[in-house]
Amino acid sequence: MTAETSTDQFDPRSKLVLVMCISSLAVLLQDAVMMTAVLACGWLAAIAFGVDVAGILLRLRKLLYLFAAMAVIQSIFTPGGEVLVSLGGVSLVTSVGLDRGVTIILRVLIIVISAGIVTTASSRDVVQGLYQWGIPYEIAFMVALAIRFLPLLRQEAEDVLTAVQLRGLKLDEVPLGQRLQIYSYLLMPMVSSVLGKSQKLAIAVEMRAFRAHDQRTSYRSLQMHGGDYAVMGAAVAATAVFLLAAWRIGRI
Amino acid sequence: MEQVPDGDKTGLDYPLAARGLTFSFPDAGEPLFSGVDLRVRSGEVVTIMGLSGSGKTTLCHCLSGIIPLIRPGQMSGDVLVEGVSTRQLTVPEVASRLGIVFQDPDTQLFFPAVEDEIAFGPENLCVPPAEIELTVQRVMHTVGLPEELRHRNPHHLSGGQKQLVALASVLSLQPQILIFDEVMSQLDADGKKRIRRLIRELAGEGKAVVTVEHDPDNLDIADRVKVLHDGQLVDYQAGWPYCEGDAGRVCRD
Repeated sequence: MTAETSTDQFDPRSKLVLVMCISSLAVLLQDAVMMTAVLACGWLAAIAFGVDVAGILLRLRKLLYLFAAMAVIQSIFTPGGEVLVSLGGVSLVTSVGLDRGVTIILRVLIIVISAGIVTTASSRDVVQGLYQWGIPYEIAFMVALAIRFLPLLRQEAEDVLTAVQLRGLKLDEVPLGQRLQIYSYLLMPMVSSVLGKSQKLAIAVEMRAFRAHDQRTSYRSLQMHGGDYAVMGAAVAATAVFLLAAWRIGRI
Repeated sequence: MEQVPDGDKTGLDYPLAARGLTFSFPDAGEPLFSGVDLRVRSGEVVTIMGLSGSGKTTLCHCLSGIIPLIRPGQMSGDVLVEGVSTRQLTVPEVASRLGIVFQDPDTQLFFPAVEDEIAFGPENLCVPPAEIELTVQRVMHTVGLPEELRHRNPHHLSGGQKQLVALASVLSLQPQILIFDEVMSQLDADGKKRIRRLIRELAGEGKAVVTVEHDPDNLDIADRVKVLHDGQLVDYQAGWPYCEGDAGRVCRD
């Protein structure tokens, strides 16, 4: 089996390098303008890899609202710089606070888009890529299983919420405070169910001779092509440029 | 009760055998079952019936070595897989001799393509890739999975097809013993029919098969029916509530 039979023409390792570069910039950069540029580059890369960015943002809109609220709170409680909004002599929003709030939102968006790029590679290809990089296969499979459990966690949450609503509770009509309390009650059975499923999956994996030997053969074999090297080279070069520019203006 | 003889002959004539098997959960007073003796011949299908909570799945875990090798619990007595006690084997050594298919296929499948699921076991046993390719083709043919499903995501298949993928992934390790833990409980009528026929075919190839069932309608594939009742594994007796109607005839036979 070769990479040609994969649904994607790019090696997952080139995507991992790209995502590592973008994510590192999201964490290291402090300047909102540069982060906006990184976000734009990441967005373009995501579209090039066929990621439905708008769809992802739509699905995560509730989470994004939460981060936006956190950014606003951060901007209100961070003093320094020019006062932009004040109430009765008390400064509410400052330029430094606003900058911090905006960078938080940008950071979250960049990481969301990075995750979107990773999801375009099959989890088996990601495992194989990591394994061919020399990472122990147990760790590589741990990554694959983590990817496998993300949709399971979401499905479990949806099932639990549906079950509750089928018993007559109209969640949309419940005030936010009570709704949060209901969510907290549902968290325990949800986590318990996912843990139970993960234990069953672990048993199934063990019973298929996982960790029989220190090494394992691979039915699938990945091979880098010119496009992969171009993606990785461009990602590393762009990262170096961003970091150098940030260092020169003292925003790193 | 069956008397399980000692000696190497057990492994040859009876690939799977349990001797005086007793199990208790940690901190539980009474054992869940005790003194279980069972022998399964090559080519034989033994079905274990029992009410919910009677310990059927736990017995499966003991027979397959999951207990004590993976899950904790107080197990006494012995389970012999091809004549060797599961206590003397590692999990991969058990896995290459014995395959177990569970009730819920969703907790057995984790790869995004059918062929990856099937290849996983042989890869773990360091089988060369060219040989794995042949194995994938062979087991897909055995379980009746069409070639066009090879690159499909198992999670997007029907319940019956998922269970076939789970079975194919177990068969790729070429075990001589197969345990099916209520594998038909989530399937529709067609899916059940397909799995039942497949189990009979696998027994016809000489595999020793144990199925665990709560549905009497699935007993027509069994050569023998045992009942786990009040912590004892006993032969089915007429008049018991487990087998009624047509299924009762199979039990009695």
